[in-house]
Amino acid sequence: MEQLQENAGADFPREIIRAEGIRKTFTLSRKQRMIEKNPTGRKVALDGLSFTAYEGEIYGLLGPNGAGKTTMLRILSTLIRPDEGDAFIAGRSVLKEPDAVRASIGFLTSELKLEEFFTPAYLFGFFGKLHGMNEEQLAKRREELFSRFGIDQFAEVKVGDLSTGMKQKVSIAVSIIHDPSVIIFDEPTNGLDVLTAKVVTDFLTEMKEQGKSIILSTHIFSLVEKLCDRVGVIIGGRMAAEGTLADVSGGKSLEDAFFDIYKRTVTGE
Amino acid sequence: MNNVLTIIKKEFARFFKDKRLVLSTLILPGLLIFLLYTLMGSVFTGSTQTYTAKVVNPSAVFGQIVEGEESGALFELTEISAEDLDAAKEDVKNGGADLVIVFPQNFDAILTGGQTYPVGQAPVVEVWYNSGSTASSSAYSLVVSLLDSLENSMSNLFDVNYAAGGDLVTAQEAEASYYAMLLPFLILTFLYSGCMGIAPESIAGEKERGTIATLLVTPIRRSELVIGKIASLSVLSALSAISSFLGTFLALPKLTGGSIGGALASYSAGQYFALFAVMLSAVLIIVSLISIISAFAKSVKEAASLSVPLMLVVMLVGLSTMLFTTHAPAAFLIPIYNCVQVMAEIFSLQFSWVNLVITLASNLVYIVVLVWLLTKMFKSERIVFNK
Repeated sequence: MEQLQENAGADFPREIIRAEGIRKTFTLSRKQRMIEKNPTGRKVALDGLSFTAYEGEIYGLLGPNGAGKTTMLRILSTLIRPDEGDAFIAGRSVLKEPDAVRASIGFLTSELKLEEFFTPAYLFGFFGKLHGMNEEQLAKRREELFSRFGIDQFAEVKVGDLSTGMKQKVSIAVSIIHDPSVIIFDEPTNGLDVLTAKVVTDFLTEMKEQGKSIILSTHIFSLVEKLCDRVGVIIGGRMAAEGTLADVSGGKSLEDAFFDIYKRTVTGE
Repeated sequence: MNNVLTIIKKEFARFFKDKRLVLSTLILPGLLIFLLYTLMGSVFTGSTQTYTAKVVNPSAVFGQIVEGEESGALFELTEISAEDLDAAKEDVKNGGADLVIVFPQNFDAILTGGQTYPVGQAPVVEVWYNSGSTASSSAYSLVVSLLDSLENSMSNLFDVNYAAGGDLVTAQEAEASYYAMLLPFLILTFLYSGCMGIAPESIAGEKERGTIATLLVTPIRRSELVIGKIASLSVLSALSAISSFLGTFLALPKLTGGSIGGALASYSAGQYFALFAVMLSAVLIIVSLISIISAFAKSVKEAASLSVPLMLVVMLVGLSTMLFTTHAPAAFLIPIYNCVQVMAEIFSLQFSWVNLVITLASNLVYIVVLVWLLTKMFKSERIVFNK
């Protein structure tokens, strides 16, 4: 479990996530090349992206599909490596200390699934051990999280037999089992019904109240308005605008402000 | 190291808690092989059947041959008169009897008389049978061969290997060379098919279901994940192979009429240790190869179909001992082939420690390279997120 006591008392707010000139390109398949009419065969997903998120805030990466949000969060969670640039979580480089970075983050996305064959109780123990927790720590954390999310009575039911909402709760519980200081959440409410989406947004608010730092990606304006302290607008793999919600909105609704930014960035008007 | 153990425990839990997986990978292979071989054995060695034959002018000499067999009577002979011949033929046609044999009158006297005749003028033994019936056909072939050998023994000029001469091999060596051809092939095939039932599910399956990425965002090192997976899959593949081997072991006496137990008891502890080491290196190589194929594949189905060409190669290499053997040290650097050759050497009692050491050392290098490769693959987004 990551302790963030170093530099305590220094200038506030403290940087918790910093991306520096991240560039990432992907090779397109022959079929994709034809569809996207891209003869070079390379697609730039992130084009020198830099941003900073501060401790204790919820930072939202806002952008249309394909803007590079998921790629950025995957780089932060060390699942993929940038071609250029580096990112730091609590001062640790995703390139040089990926294991330490993973120990300090909780990463959530609809793409990460739990083995449906196992029960929440088994998975909790399994992932806890991978995070280096002992039995005592596990039992304490399990009690906290299972009662917080109402998993208790489903602890011995196979994940495959759980409702979508309960699966999401188990996924959340497993991802923060090690009490990470940073939570990375890719498209938190995508594909969820209103009740499950509420579970997720309540969870994020609660985590913020506990002093956790959160970065999430989304294309849903209302989610950003409801949760985020600061926002970075990504368009075409570049940071088009960044600041507090009020700075970025500039007195308009976030949606209107976003389309102004989009127009400026894409058409240069 | 703790993480490796955690992964191994999880893989075992995934396997042993799944009744269907245990049934299809551990119980069914052995059971099916046992049943199949037993069935084949009972067909091949079903010589204890007693045929019924109706005989006109029975011969005492022939009667002694067919009814005096150690394994039991080959024929149940019933004497009939010449007048009943047509009725008896009808009986054979209808399946009431297997054969009708009509001996010449005083057949026994002809036998002892020693007189020979040109073809077409000798006394005739008539054998009536029905080729539409399997039993009747078999009875007919048997009677003809018995009568032929009876005729030969009556006009004997010389014997081959009757009281002297013969095979100089010891019974143990004979069995050993037989097993040296058969067992490496069986062991490799069982190991491969055991692994095919487990590894694609564990690697391509996790990728397909999106559960591997969940593992990859924990602080576990990719190499720990790979070692944990390969170690657990190797144990499970070996268990599956043992199941198949037990099925073969128990059914082989029924299939060949011999006992594999006698041959297996003749090997020393050192030879068994060598065998164990070679099989361990073989299973690790096979599991690593199938794991790499599975990591490359987008789905379990794709992993299984991509593993088939490799299976054919492995089986062909397994068959190589039936065609040729080699003692050139360089040949023991070739993966899989070296395992087959060393196993053949052990089984045929021509075991060489040098070849074993070359095999194990080179296989260790291959395993390290394959584990490194798989670790690299788990670090590549193109592999992990390639759905």
